Amino acid sequence: MVSQNQNVISLECVSKVYGGNTHALRNVSLNVGAGEIFGLLGPNGAGKSTLVKVLLTVVKPTVARGEMLGKPIGDKKTLTRVGYLPEQHRLAPYLTARQAVEFVAALSGVDRATRKKRAAELLDRVGLSKWIDRRVNVFSKGMRQRAGLAAALVNDPQIVFLDEPTDGVDPVGRVEIRDLLIQMRREGRTVFLNSHLLGEAEQVCDRVAILVQGRVVKQGRMDDLQKEGSRQELTVRWGGSSASAGANSQMEVGLGGAVTLNSAASARSLPFRGVNISPTITAEGNHQYVFGDVDASAAQPALDAVRATGGEIISLVPMHQRLEELFMKIVIDPTTGKAPPPGAGS
Amino acid sequence: MTAFTAILVDGYRELVAKKLFTLSMILSLLVVAVIGIGGLNEQGVTIVGFTIEVPFVNSTMFTPAEFYKLMFNSVGVKFWLGWLACLLALVSSAGMFPEMVSSGVVENMLSRPISRWRLYIYKFTAGLLFTSLQMAVFCLASFLVIGLRGGAWEPGLFLAIPLVTLLYSYLFAMSALLGTVTRSAIAALLLTILFWGFLFIVNSAETIVNGFRIGSVKECQAIEALIQKRKKENPDVDISDLQTELERDQSTLSNLALWHRVVFAVKTVLPKTDETTSLLQRWTLEASNMKDEGAEDAEEVAANAQKQRRRGGPGFGNSRAKTSVVVAAIEADQRSRGVGWILGTSVAFEIVTLGVGCWLFSRRDF
Repeated sequence: MVSQNQNVISLECVSKVYGGNTHALRNVSLNVGAGEIFGLLGPNGAGKSTLVKVLLTVVKPTVARGEMLGKPIGDKKTLTRVGYLPEQHRLAPYLTARQAVEFVAALSGVDRATRKKRAAELLDRVGLSKWIDRRVNVFSKGMRQRAGLAAALVNDPQIVFLDEPTDGVDPVGRVEIRDLLIQMRREGRTVFLNSHLLGEAEQVCDRVAILVQGRVVKQGRMDDLQKEGSRQELTVRWGGSSASAGANSQMEVGLGGAVTLNSAASARSLPFRGVNISPTITAEGNHQYVFGDVDASAAQPALDAVRATGGEIISLVPMHQRLEELFMKIVIDPTTGKAPPPGAGS
Repeated sequence: MTAFTAILVDGYRELVAKKLFTLSMILSLLVVAVIGIGGLNEQGVTIVGFTIEVPFVNSTMFTPAEFYKLMFNSVGVKFWLGWLACLLALVSSAGMFPEMVSSGVVENMLSRPISRWRLYIYKFTAGLLFTSLQMAVFCLASFLVIGLRGGAWEPGLFLAIPLVTLLYSYLFAMSALLGTVTRSAIAALLLTILFWGFLFIVNSAETIVNGFRIGSVKECQAIEALIQKRKKENPDVDISDLQTELERDQSTLSNLALWHRVVFAVKTVLPKTDETTSLLQRWTLEASNMKDEGAEDAEEVAANAQKQRRRGGPGFGNSRAKTSVVVAAIEADQRSRGVGWILGTSVAFEIVTLGVGCWLFSRRDF
């Protein structure tokens, strides 16, 4: 096994151009560390599957500078240590689950005794032990996906590429697959997960890269990406309307212009980011306000302002940026407010 | 080797799962059974006690062993295995390559540590299992029938296994190429059948043109011999009619020779399906048992031929050449085409077809 913190995939420049003018991948550069779950995210047609296919020699790259498991991209022998569950994969309908998994193992060069043992173990692990000798053509989509997962692991790979592994799987199955991914990480395997299900990726990925129209537009550790541009929720309380009105001018300073003073003497609601924040009147008659989405840089002056006006700070809760928000920010064109059209750009 | 064995076993499982394979096996055994229940007596062919009178197929013309071998070759190999069983095999395996290159399957194959050309060749070899297994069963059953019913134990029959498999491989190489290009089983099947039809047309054209060419050669030789004979009997005899006939036949021969060269050149580069199965006949049966008509010279032959034509029978030119001589010459010409030429040129075509298929499969993105 490759030691932790070492890159098992290191791409300097990967490009794929179809027909001379359709750019499926444009100078893709990314690193995947050993033993991590790496999520490659992006809208449909962004080039996620193409990138995986380039790494697995299914698609011939136009340019491919980089390494996988210490060997140049395209090295066939490296693939003995790699597992793959293709998107919408199909197992031969005339084979039983056991035969299908053993067939994949044989193609990967696994010897007869080992593949027999591992096929049975893995099919049991994905919950198909009772179906092991049944033909795949009677399986539901979810069961086929599980059998495919077993096939992807049958050669005891160091890197497992999973292209939309939960596609067509019911919620219970999704949770089980997620647990399986975490288990793979625990075993020291690197999981390269292609998905457009952001919530799913958010739950399991250590690092992600976002691919849009063949370009990596963002990549990093999940924690860092979530912290980046993160906001806080501030809850404060003043005793009575006069106190709160008095507080407004201070808040204006404290939140750096985020709160605009409502000049009305009886201002009970405070305009904040274009929305009037109405107070909740507590049993004691105090006015309690909740300011969501407060910039981290503005939080401290706001706290000072609240204290200076005799207000009480109830809570200041950091709100991590959801992957979906980050994704939408990246994918949506700020000038048009629309997502790019599906597919690779020309 | 592990991957090769796995692909072969997978190919076998795929075949067994198909009803067409089982049906084809049953039909093969039925064909052998039909051959086995037939027999010979002095009047003709017997089938379960009934006699069908056939003038040239009776126990005075053939021994039981020769009869069963003839039936094995002409009905079993030439007709059943060489045509119908091959067609069933093509139908059954036309989907192998389109399925292999289809989305969701090809990724699993190509992402393994095997080169693409190996995958292509392994899959192609697996596709030959249909015919080879069927041939093995058919030959074994025929061997037993000829041994038990004809009293001749002929291990040479088993040559039909590699020969018919080879014949099928010419067609399957084309089917594999077309399946890889079109990714459609139906398109691959229809185009392969068209290709097979084209081979049949080229082969038939060559056989017919060659038959006429040889007939014409023999005709000219017969006329020349007749001129010599008449001159020898009477040096002053008028032979202008024969000279005119000879000139006309030589002109025809010249045209036929040209056409034959063209058709033969086309045939040379193509697989020889018919001649491949004919090799079996060459190796397992004796030379033609055709009897001489007994006519002695060209005039007598011409007179006989005219009578025959009046009865609607075949003939060559003015038919001064004896039919048996022409047929023997055609047979000799066919036999002069060596095994190396028949199989060598056919296999060369197959290798080129496979090479193109491998090349396309290796450079394509899936």
